[in-house]
Amino acid sequence: MTRALVVPEISRVEGHGRIRVEISDGKVTEVKLGIFEGPRFFEAVARGRRYDEVPEIMCRICAICSAGHKVTSILAVEDALGIQVSRQTELLRELYFLGMMIESHSLHLYFLALPDYLGYTSAIELVPKYADKVQQGLHLKRLGNRIQERISGRPIHGPNAVVGGFGKVPEASELVELKEELKELLPAAEDTVHLFAKLDYPEFTKAFTVFFALRPKDDKFSFFGNGSIACSSGDEIPLERYDVVCDERVLDYSTAKHSYSRGDPFMVGALARVNLFHKGLTPVAASALKKTGWKLPSNNTLHNNLAQAVELVYSVERAIDVIDQLLEIGPVPEKPVKVDPAIFEEGCSSRVKPASGKNAKKPEDGVQTAEKAENKPNEKKVVQGDDPKAPEMNSTEGSKPGAGGSGNAGPKLVDIDGEGYRGIAATEVPRGTLYHDYKFDKNGRLVWANVVTPTAQNAANIERDLRACALNTIHREDDEIKLYLEMVARAYDPCISCSAHLVDLVVKRS
Amino acid sequence: MSKPRVGIFGLTSCAGDQLAILNCEDELLDIIGAVDLKSFVMAQSDNEEKEFDVAFVEGAVVTEENEEKLREVREKSAILVAIGTCACWGGIPASANGIERVELYRQVYDTEEDYFKCGRTVLPLKEIVRVDLSVPGCPIEKDQIIAAVGSLLHGVSPVLPTYAVCTECRFKENRCLLVKDDLLCCGPITLAGCGARCPSHGLPCKGCRGPVEEPNAASEFDILKEKGYTRHDLEKAFRTFAYSIEIPERA
Repeated sequence: MTRALVVPEISRVEGHGRIRVEISDGKVTEVKLGIFEGPRFFEAVARGRRYDEVPEIMCRICAICSAGHKVTSILAVEDALGIQVSRQTELLRELYFLGMMIESHSLHLYFLALPDYLGYTSAIELVPKYADKVQQGLHLKRLGNRIQERISGRPIHGPNAVVGGFGKVPEASELVELKEELKELLPAAEDTVHLFAKLDYPEFTKAFTVFFALRPKDDKFSFFGNGSIACSSGDEIPLERYDVVCDERVLDYSTAKHSYSRGDPFMVGALARVNLFHKGLTPVAASALKKTGWKLPSNNTLHNNLAQAVELVYSVERAIDVIDQLLEIGPVPEKPVKVDPAIFEEGCSSRVKPASGKNAKKPEDGVQTAEKAENKPNEKKVVQGDDPKAPEMNSTEGSKPGAGGSGNAGPKLVDIDGEGYRGIAATEVPRGTLYHDYKFDKNGRLVWANVVTPTAQNAANIERDLRACALNTIHREDDEIKLYLEMVARAYDPCISCSAHLVDLVVKRS
Repeated sequence: MSKPRVGIFGLTSCAGDQLAILNCEDELLDIIGAVDLKSFVMAQSDNEEKEFDVAFVEGAVVTEENEEKLREVREKSAILVAIGTCACWGGIPASANGIERVELYRQVYDTEEDYFKCGRTVLPLKEIVRVDLSVPGCPIEKDQIIAAVGSLLHGVSPVLPTYAVCTECRFKENRCLLVKDDLLCCGPITLAGCGARCPSHGLPCKGCRGPVEEPNAASEFDILKEKGYTRHDLEKAFRTFAYSIEIPERA
């Protein structure tokens, strides 16, 4: 089977990818996974924007995990500006997030991955023989979308989740309706685990892999962390030093303190989370996992699909629990929490009060600050690796307002040399850990941003697995190898929304 | 009559409009049954790139390859439909058009090299090829894309709203966030079709569906300036999704 490149290779972070494998004299001489970080320049587009506009822009980095970017972005803004939200808001955000997980995992499992394992080219082709499974996948996917729509106003780029809370809190009746649907589809989620447990996972890539995931509060399975990053090697890294885990440049000037990642690729995502924290799973998910007889931890990265299926059950189960907690609270109507205007020089959170001669100058100051930062190309590196402020920020570790965690510590403002505020947040989105790191000037306008997506973190590991796969299948026909390579890449669910169908395979033999 | 040959393509975007099509869970199998889906790389792998009766194209033209692809699709298609605000207006990627590319690379990638070969202005489809129908939205509205497909199947153009979000907001009897609450609401200059979603959630319109025809940005600019907003913030807000919106130099 020949797979042609249909869409140009160059795109965004979750954009189009290309695999290039060269085999000569029976050896794999080159393996390249071309995933280019996108030329949409989000970090630059968001510069100069008011803090409350930033999440609305950042969520558009990706459609499938829009909710993940939205919530993470909001958490980073709130971290920077010391905003404390209600328990109800935390729960609603988690529910929104779980909706994304259900939608994203069922889309990937049923429509992108399953056809591979059953020997088809698309889910559409599956219909004649597996109509009930395709329907089941559609139902689960629709459920995820309904949750997102109810909570955030629409399934993709929902506007309702904002800094400080929600524009409009959903009605109890809407939540009850969702809960009924969730209960109805819990067996379908369990069946997904059984379905994926029965599939054959070739061990092309089995090798020692390092896994990273945010450590959940009390080690109960969760997509929100307690402020530290856990590694399968046993290391723990405070969230603020995320650069140690995922900034590849760190490797260039690496010292002993990050030896576990020096030069070594690592994996984030469902398999990492399930490997590290499966003991904290909810009862139905734990039981579904147990029935598979799957031995954990697993180093076969294709098992990421099975891990996603387990997370699908967890997400449905947890969403029911979150709705129960919300129904206990009310939910009560409430307006988003406002930023304390006193922290801004202009004295107003969202706009400048009547343009007196003095105030009219202020915004230009904001621009000036942004430009000042722009003129320091190395600033990014400084901030991530050697920011003298970093240790200071570590001391506030634990106060991270993880939406599912406690988040009840006192307000925290990180003043950057008297020039503004910095905030960092991370969550576990479908494909792994997502980091948003922002700096705002004294008027709440963004001067610098760094967003690290899971696929960017996984890229090196995918490449490593592709090499292993090519080595282990070297004697097969080209088309067969291509198929396996694509399967390996696709198992990671690289957030090219379009998954590996956009992967252009070039197998060159000499 | 044979089924119309359809292609669904993505240029530079978040794939949200293609995902919105996949999100038509209840209608998806019917739609796919009614057309001959020749190419949809997001959902299938054996794609045929010959001729299309209708091509749906998402995303802005950011790179040279995007432009080549677009011209190729245009040539092969009888009807070309721009889906989503990126395709119709340039969307968020185009909002950086005012910044030098070199500067963008320096800010985001720590390099001045035009690594991705996009040292050019980000453009909507209509600036490069003929577009037969525009279905904006960030992302597109499910009912509108279904209506568009339905109409095209019957050989007619779908009827889409031409009025502003304010009109829909009035129908919903929402409190006016601009006049009553002094919020930076883009409703007056933004194309309706979303049911005034944001104002109905108590949030100002961000303009994600792009402008109405001949938007009176000058008037809205003056009203908001009067309320104390700065030129800097207003320019950013008006042009988040449509870089080409003109704002008066006066004031």
